[in-house]
Amino acid sequence: MSLPEFRLLRPHAVEEAVMMLERHAGNIRVLAGGTDLIPSMRQKLFEPPYVVDLRGIAELRGIRRQSDGGVEIGALSPLSTIERSVYLREHFPVLTEAAGTVASPVIRNMGTIGGNICLDTRCLWYNQSLAWRKGCGFCIKKDGDLCHVAPGGLKCWAAFSGDTPPALLCLDAEIEIASINGTRRMPLREFYTGDGIIYRKLQSNELVTRVFLPAESAGYRGVYRKLRVRGSIDYPLAGVAIAMKRSNGHVSEAHIAITAVNPAPLLVKGASELLAGKMVDEALAEAVGDIAARTAKPLTTSALTPEYRREMIRVFTKRAILAAAQN
Amino acid sequence: MNNGFSIIGKRTALVDAAEKTTGAGKYTDDLSVSGMLTGKILHSPYPHARIRSIDTSRAEQLDGVVTVAIGKDAPNPFGILPVGHDEHALAVDKVRYVGDNVACVVAVSEAIAEKALELIDVDYEVLPAYFDPEESMKAQADFIHENKPGNIEKDYHHVFGDPGKGFSDANQIAEARFIAGEVTHAAMEPHSTLASFELDPHTGKMGRLTVWSSTQVPYYLQHKLSLVLEMPMQQIRVIKPLVGGGFGGKSEVIPLEIIAAVAARKARAPVKITYTREEVFWAHRGRPRTIVDLKTGVKNDGRITAVKARVVQDGGGYCSYGVVTILYSGALLGALYDIPNIQYDGYRVLTNKPACGAMRGHGTVNVRFAFESQLDELAAKIAMDPAEVRRRNLLMPPCITVNGLRVQSYGLPECIEKTVERSGWKQRKGKLPRGRGLGIACSHYVSGAANSIIRSDMPHSTVNIKIDRDGGVVVYTGASEIGQGSDTMVAQIAAEVLGCSLGRVRVIAADTDLTPIDLGSYSSRVTFMNGNATLRAADEVKKLIAAAAAKKMNCAPEELIFRHDVVKKRDTQAGRDGTGATQEGPSVSGRVEGQILRGSLQQKRKEEGPKDWMSFEEAVVAAIDFHGALTGTGSYAPPPEARGGKHKGGGVGPSPAYSYSAQVAEVSVDEETGEVTVHKVWAAHDCGRALNPVSVEGQIIGSVWMGMGQALAEEMVWKDGMLMNPGLLEYRSPSSIESPEVEPIIVESVDPEGPFGAKECSEGSLAATIPAIANAIYDAVGVRLHESPFTPERVLAALRAKKKEKALNLTEGVDPTDPVRFREHGGSLCFKSRGPQRHALDPAHRQAPASAGGAD
Repeated sequence: MSLPEFRLLRPHAVEEAVMMLERHAGNIRVLAGGTDLIPSMRQKLFEPPYVVDLRGIAELRGIRRQSDGGVEIGALSPLSTIERSVYLREHFPVLTEAAGTVASPVIRNMGTIGGNICLDTRCLWYNQSLAWRKGCGFCIKKDGDLCHVAPGGLKCWAAFSGDTPPALLCLDAEIEIASINGTRRMPLREFYTGDGIIYRKLQSNELVTRVFLPAESAGYRGVYRKLRVRGSIDYPLAGVAIAMKRSNGHVSEAHIAITAVNPAPLLVKGASELLAGKMVDEALAEAVGDIAARTAKPLTTSALTPEYRREMIRVFTKRAILAAAQN
Repeated sequence: MNNGFSIIGKRTALVDAAEKTTGAGKYTDDLSVSGMLTGKILHSPYPHARIRSIDTSRAEQLDGVVTVAIGKDAPNPFGILPVGHDEHALAVDKVRYVGDNVACVVAVSEAIAEKALELIDVDYEVLPAYFDPEESMKAQADFIHENKPGNIEKDYHHVFGDPGKGFSDANQIAEARFIAGEVTHAAMEPHSTLASFELDPHTGKMGRLTVWSSTQVPYYLQHKLSLVLEMPMQQIRVIKPLVGGGFGGKSEVIPLEIIAAVAARKARAPVKITYTREEVFWAHRGRPRTIVDLKTGVKNDGRITAVKARVVQDGGGYCSYGVVTILYSGALLGALYDIPNIQYDGYRVLTNKPACGAMRGHGTVNVRFAFESQLDELAAKIAMDPAEVRRRNLLMPPCITVNGLRVQSYGLPECIEKTVERSGWKQRKGKLPRGRGLGIACSHYVSGAANSIIRSDMPHSTVNIKIDRDGGVVVYTGASEIGQGSDTMVAQIAAEVLGCSLGRVRVIAADTDLTPIDLGSYSSRVTFMNGNATLRAADEVKKLIAAAAAKKMNCAPEELIFRHDVVKKRDTQAGRDGTGATQEGPSVSGRVEGQILRGSLQQKRKEEGPKDWMSFEEAVVAAIDFHGALTGTGSYAPPPEARGGKHKGGGVGPSPAYSYSAQVAEVSVDEETGEVTVHKVWAAHDCGRALNPVSVEGQIIGSVWMGMGQALAEEMVWKDGMLMNPGLLEYRSPSSIESPEVEPIIVESVDPEGPFGAKECSEGSLAATIPAIANAIYDAVGVRLHESPFTPERVLAALRAKKKEKALNLTEGVDPTDPVRFREHGGSLCFKSRGPQRHALDPAHRQAPASAGGAD
């Protein structure tokens, strides 16, 4: 499969990049690591006349500690850099663990944290070649008007399948978004829409440039559990992240987020309240697992049956809580 | 261990290892000829439709497009089996699966060709489609092929012995349905073909055709090209460059190979087509989804009294190797154990999916999964150790089985013994912690088919050897190196026989202009058949050299020993240095002696009188001076005694020799998630004699790994004829993380007819892995899985059913608007909707959509 023809733009500064986005808004795609964009372009999911390659923008790389104890991560930082950061591992372990499960080592060297946050939603009826999609009559997310996963519905259920966003949600991360009008900051939990097509709140002239981890989130114990068929390469079929703080053996604060079972990564509502102030035991972990499973709404967008994947959200949540309470 | 051999039996790096590992080697897609164009194939978006018309004019007008080939450019049908000529290069009247080949654009670039595909207007009349074999068999009209009523490609009904009596003699009988999901080869190299015509100097018209192709069967390709293009075979040259794995997926003529030639003829320019990975899945020819209804009876002493199997294979839209596959499934119920009574009913059924064909362990694997699983169930019923029940049913070779298979060498007892011993079976079986278990299973496979698929009495393999005055040995073999090591095997055998170093031997392989006919690399025939032909060719040359050398040394030829690049009299201590020349290759002095200083040295020797030894070069030169050209030829045809019974379909299954395998798998099962982890597999394989132990071990490990993929994760999933996972991301072959430790154990039974006693080692081990894992899961958590792959959800569903916990329902959808079954056609992840709906962007939109057809 050939790549569609496009003009490659290679800015060296954010200002330059957002100018390009402004000028070609709607006709341009952003390339960071390219691990998602390039295969999708070959499948003709995107045929933009312009591609802006961010890799020349040095300022968007690197992990910087801030004076208040928080951390700023450049959106172009490769996932392997995050995975290997000793500082992050010590203070924000759920993020390094989640980053270390993305795809395979080769892809983690290419793929970036910004790209993982902006990852397109995925579905078996969508991530296919043009010839294949023609065979099924296309789908609601691209070129078509019906959803094969939920026939009769008008909503797209393509699943958000990034590994790091649930971890970032648990850490109450913020992202910086740049455009020619300057930058704004937004809590990551407000970034996703829950719709499979317009899955994020990002204008066509905007760019995700930085990720901020607040100082208050440092020091949480963290665990990420990922359901996949293979121990490498695979996207998550279900994922659970947890960040937990304890004092005197009791949970003082905990956040749980799930991924790959909805069109957005979601914080599990009610989990924090249920855990707060309690000693973790099997029954409690199971109760929280039930809440998480109810939050999950997997459909036949990927391998393994939805019912099984929801069950695994339950099991993995329980296990993640028990593991976080142990280490 | 070495048994007096100097080349074979040694761990030898493959002769093409360096070019492959450095990237210097050329695969078909690496090749280029001047003026070469790119071909791109238009595939059918419908599972079953009649083609009313094709209009290529818009595509042809696109700048950069040279021509568009369609079915009527080459309407002759072909197929790998003489009984199965049901394919066309490009569809002539009908398409039979989503992905079927409709037209081929030839353009100056891939991008332009892809654009042109969008401009081809095809008018389809959509027909009802069949996706489930058991539903397909009930069809009354709209057959997939008009001449196959009921969509049955072929059915066979065999009875050997008296199964009725066998079952009445049994103390315990087990009966169950087993289902094995559809899998494909997933070879690393996608198929690729480059076709180039020469202009005939006399007529100015298109003359000879050269085809470079990723094939396991150059000779069959030459034959089918001749048939479709209506050209004499001698005008067609097929060359096989390096091939990046076949596993059966390149063991027949794949549509792109013919399409490239047809397109090149129409474009009057060389054309290369390389499949995308998705197209590789559509070309397929993998292992069919198989439904096995199996009944087995045993006596309380463990002896099997009878087996009855009904096998239905979901063959896809074309015959391919199907008739052979369904016969193997029945025939190889025999020749592993001593089974006195066998009843077999096999149905190869057509469906509107890509054609299934031959895949590693052809036809035997899924039935072996069922049989070995059921044998464990019966062992439990009679309270016998699973390893012991297998020992109680051993054959007593040499023998001929009840279904006419001749068994001579039989290393199965040793395979069982060694795996049991190495795995600590006796001490550990049943004593591992909960959730961890051991399972054993056995398997076997042919070392080549004793009857070729083409009806001919010609030898199955022929090999030529030429030695010139430089002392270099050139072996011309039709054997197709596809990564399995056949070039190395051929070089080793030639070097062993001639007593020369391996570096002296150059193998020219798989080029129909240069190499004699060989049927190809499939059914694990190459070592046995081409190896025997090589051995005979080398023997013939050796006799010529010996005659001349003996004359020089004043002795009888029989007194000479060829070893370490020296020809010497038996019982003579002297080589060049007493132990013989360097084993690393021809020495510099050797070359000098052989070529430049030969005359003067010979003069000197003559003055010294006859000697006890000669260098290999001296012997070769003497032979050429004495006989003229130094060439030898050898061929192999299986002996009549090995060709099997006379019953209908009895031609498939017989082999000159069978390989044997026994395996123990150690697994653990997570009872909360159903995830299965394979920790270790002890795999013993009887390969007759290991010509290259490192190669044998590689094949054993590869077989176990591929079997594990089928056991745990690999499955082609269908939804209304759409393949849901046509790529290596969603078709989940194991990654290195899942790969367990495999302990390969080589068992050498030394076959009386194999070259130096060798048999096959590439396929036989695969089939044991799947039931070994199934049996280990049973040992670990007490659930018997009847359907492969053993995905976590299937395992968890079985665990919950056993514990009578809340059922994990895998057949009810969770669609909020329309809860329907989402598991169908052997898939585990898709639910049924109302059939493909067409969108306005779809060029085929003007036609009303098909209903889901017979599968409803």
